[in-house]
Amino acid sequence: MIYLDNAATTWPKPLPVVRAMDEALRRYGANPGRGGHSMGLAASQEVYRCRETAARLFHLSDPSGVIFTLNCTMALNMVLKGLLRTGGRAVVSSLEHNAVMRPLNALSTSGPIYDVARVAEGDDDATVEAFRRCIRPSTRVIVCTHASNVFGTRLPIRRLGQLAREYGLPFVVDAAQTGGVLPIDMEEDNIHFLCLAGHKGLYGPMGTGMLLCRGSYWLPPFIEGGTGSRSLELVQPSDLPDRLESGTPNTPGICGLRAGMELVLSRSPQRIARQESALMCRLYRRVKEVPRIRLYTGMPELERSAPVLSLNVEGYGSEKTAALLNRQGIAVRAGLHCAPCAHQHYGTLPGGTVRFAPSLFTTEAEIDRVGDVLEQLAKNSEKSLQS
Amino acid sequence: MTILNVSSITNAMRGKNLLEQNGIHATVSRAMEEDGSNGCGYSLRVPDSQADRAEQLIRSIRIPIRGKRMEAGSP
Repeated sequence: MIYLDNAATTWPKPLPVVRAMDEALRRYGANPGRGGHSMGLAASQEVYRCRETAARLFHLSDPSGVIFTLNCTMALNMVLKGLLRTGGRAVVSSLEHNAVMRPLNALSTSGPIYDVARVAEGDDDATVEAFRRCIRPSTRVIVCTHASNVFGTRLPIRRLGQLAREYGLPFVVDAAQTGGVLPIDMEEDNIHFLCLAGHKGLYGPMGTGMLLCRGSYWLPPFIEGGTGSRSLELVQPSDLPDRLESGTPNTPGICGLRAGMELVLSRSPQRIARQESALMCRLYRRVKEVPRIRLYTGMPELERSAPVLSLNVEGYGSEKTAALLNRQGIAVRAGLHCAPCAHQHYGTLPGGTVRFAPSLFTTEAEIDRVGDVLEQLAKNSEKSLQS
Repeated sequence: MTILNVSSITNAMRGKNLLEQNGIHATVSRAMEEDGSNGCGYSLRVPDSQADRAEQLIRSIRIPIRGKRMEAGSP
């Protein structure tokens, strides 16, 4: 199988990740941060090491600000519902995933509480200006995706972070697609809340995610419960991470996540970005001259795109194209990718697109094979039309 | 040995790392009050001679110290 659905979750997981999870189940089987016995303390140490690794990867000075979640969606919900709990508005981009839009819509009791800044592909000045025009006195947060999970379109988050600083607003970044794939520096980018999937570019298992918190913006507890600390008190502890983490953590998942992040650090996000971008550019060049293959973006070069490519084969719906690719042993995702706003932006509603997303394990030979199959599908779709 | 009580395992780990970086050996254990009760927190055990410095370092990264005592049996 040629697996190009890494934007949904990466596969395969690196062997160190598998080994780390196996070791966690065998050696760190106690509940961390609860008991004082040796295995409990050892498990606690492993969990803390993961916080440290995340802080190092994303340039967060205090590992206490690393909050483990189930996924990026949970992290986004915690931030948006926390920051907007007493009202106010959010500025979002026109490419947001439902993990941003659905919580905002849920908070919108009498009309939308968000203003949409239209992203100008390849024109960061226009994009930043669009965000600026959306800011009102009632704006409480700027939240945006780092790059579209469908089209790869990259937003200028450093400049948007500067904009947030200019207006004294917290800056929230949905880095589900870019964590571990594109370099992110919370300090330099002025990011206050970084929401991450553990199971995509960080190569951890599904069921892991992180919310990285920087600065003094306060989020209320999302779930109250046991933290293994200050148990005499019936209120949630106020310090991080305990304020935002309750209950037994996913220690095997966290250990796996740390192994994935260590791999990313060892390869460096910059090198991974170049490698994966080159693969998508290779595919783009291969298919752009093929009749009946419709592309929606420019060349997915690193400066303007995450390594994701969407297309359609004219004559076939996106789901049919994906099914035909699956018959050829190529795994991709079709449809709306939980991001109807992005499809609206690019005019690909209602049918959506077929999305290709590599990992660091994807090879040029695989990309070339995909190009061959797509070309054949395009020819077949023309024959189907003629007959 | 001197016991410095902190509220959470994460604070204990942070504190331990900072102390080790500054040449102070520290071990993490479950907090245990003198009367045997458990305040549901964690503590850092450090040599008595370095206790004041350890406390200063931990407070410098804004980890609250919930208690400080010498371990029973310390001279």
